[in-house]
Amino acid sequence: MSSGQNILSGLFGAQAKRGGWQPNPSRPGRLPVIVLIVAVLALWGVLSAFYTVQPEQRAVVKRFGAVVNIADPGLHFKLPFGIDQVQLVATERVLKEEFGFRTIGESQPTRYADSELPDESLMLSGDLNMIDAEWVVQYRIADPVKFLYAMREPVRTLRDISESVMRRAVGNRLGSDVLTTARTEIAESVELEIQQAMDRYDNGIRIVTVQLQDVVPPKAVRPAFNEVNEARQERERMINEATKQANQRVPLARGQANRVIAEAEGYATERVNNALGETARFRSILAEYRSAPDVTRTRMYLETLNQVLPDVGQVLVMQKGQVSPLPLLNLRDARPAATVEAK
Amino acid sequence: MNRINALLLLVVIAALLINASTYVIDQAEQGIVVQFGEPVGSPVTEPGLHWKLPFVQDVRRFDKRLLVWDGDVNQIPTLGREFVIVDTTARWRIVDPLMFLRSVRDEHGARTRIDDIIDSVVRDIISGTNLEEIVRSHDWKVALDEIDEGDMVRSDVDLGKPKKGRAQLEKDMLAEASRLMPSLGIELVDVRIKRINYIDSVRRQVENRMVAERQSIAERFRSEGQGRSQEILGQMERELRTISSEAERKAAEVRGKADGEATRVYGVAYGADPEFYAFFRTLESYKAMGANTTLMLDSDSEYYRYLQSTRRR
Repeated sequence: MSSGQNILSGLFGAQAKRGGWQPNPSRPGRLPVIVLIVAVLALWGVLSAFYTVQPEQRAVVKRFGAVVNIADPGLHFKLPFGIDQVQLVATERVLKEEFGFRTIGESQPTRYADSELPDESLMLSGDLNMIDAEWVVQYRIADPVKFLYAMREPVRTLRDISESVMRRAVGNRLGSDVLTTARTEIAESVELEIQQAMDRYDNGIRIVTVQLQDVVPPKAVRPAFNEVNEARQERERMINEATKQANQRVPLARGQANRVIAEAEGYATERVNNALGETARFRSILAEYRSAPDVTRTRMYLETLNQVLPDVGQVLVMQKGQVSPLPLLNLRDARPAATVEAK
Repeated sequence: MNRINALLLLVVIAALLINASTYVIDQAEQGIVVQFGEPVGSPVTEPGLHWKLPFVQDVRRFDKRLLVWDGDVNQIPTLGREFVIVDTTARWRIVDPLMFLRSVRDEHGARTRIDDIIDSVVRDIISGTNLEEIVRSHDWKVALDEIDEGDMVRSDVDLGKPKKGRAQLEKDMLAEASRLMPSLGIELVDVRIKRINYIDSVRRQVENRMVAERQSIAERFRSEGQGRSQEILGQMERELRTISSEAERKAAEVRGKADGEATRVYGVAYGADPEFYAFFRTLESYKAMGANTTLMLDSDSEYYRYLQSTRRR
């Protein structure tokens, strides 16, 4: 693993070959070869003596394998020939691990891989239901030295721990809670727990955030699950419709009832008033009648007939013992529709 | 020229000698110096440039960092006879390179030993535990009264608190697996259950059961809707009939009262002279005759009599 050793042996190995005994050491052209070698070495030394660090990066500088310095962004010098080695770590960038799905490329709009990752996203809730959860862990490399040298595979560890912690959090709740109310709570507790694990490993990773994406029942159950929601909606709809009908018809019926009562009251007033009027008239006539009963009686009788007869269609006179009536007047060709027998 | 050659030779020999008597230990590494295959001295953990005897001594390097172990995915029956897939992961490090070198030689050797140890520990613990116990943790609590009938909660599962819970089981696994590790020069830092799930066939069964359960809940919601709807409509009908019948009753009462009042008024008035009332009322009714009426007069009637003669009777 030691590149310093490799470099030394490579360098001197090459020189040993070239500097080895030749049949004719005093041949012209020997000197230029050495000069060439020295020039190449000098060029290599110059080129390997500096490095640049990008703004979002930090550089970990190792001398003979041991970390000696962490360099900030900019141009820096180091010992050449691989004595100093530089590892660049993007400490300022927020990095992302996806679980249960993968973003393809950097294109806009963001696309996601079609193939599902059921192994990664399927988990059991506390009531042993299956839940398909997708989530994202965002993190930063807070300490580049720890990130590089505390663990061999810090990112893989982050993934393993994220899955383990998420499953513990989901397994500690009811499936229905996970799908609905407990989402933020889960994300927060998972974030905290992952960070605790990372701190325990001391691997220099700082969790920025954990975000739950799609949290749904497993694919095969989803249609049935939607059916329940639809049925729930339908129940509400049916109740609402019945209530609506009741709300429409009851006030109308109340109005109609009031109308019937008002009409009856009108009738009552009319009936009593009529009675009072008619009887008042009768009383007046009666009072006059009593002063001259016979004359008045005859007068009234004749007056009435006088008033009635012009309008009557047909007048028939019945003679006792005769079968058919005698037509008395046939003023109009009227059909006998109603018959009133006068006595 | 010879002098230059000699100088070059000297430089080369010196370089080779330096190269052979130094070694570099990286920040991530620790090393053991071996002489003819036999370890010499204590392990070197300091990174940097170190000296050794040239040619006779060699260096074995081991990673100093925390390493990841990821086991095979195992199918294990739980105590409740459900087959589950368990995927565990662990972190370990080489704490005693000398022991490590002697017992397992290298990481590959170590991995196979760790595989054996952790797999068997996981198998033992999982198969001796109920699935609920593995899935839930010690701080599990469920508000049973908050569960709505339409919620996705399995009714056939005991919702009780686990005796140990997942975290404790993981600790048990670590403790059990760690017992053998010191003899390998290894420290096990943690063992965690990464994934646990039903095997495919069980999964399909569970899914089918979930679907059936959902459908029965949906059915119940629908019939509940119909039931409530019918109830509301029935109540409405009752209310409608109550309202209209009450109105009819009240109207009849009002009319009846008025009719009674009118009858009383008529009775009082006409009772003064019933005979005259009959005469008067009869004449009134004649006046109501129209053009379509045929009047039949008896030849004995008063009117006709005057028509026949004006003679006084």
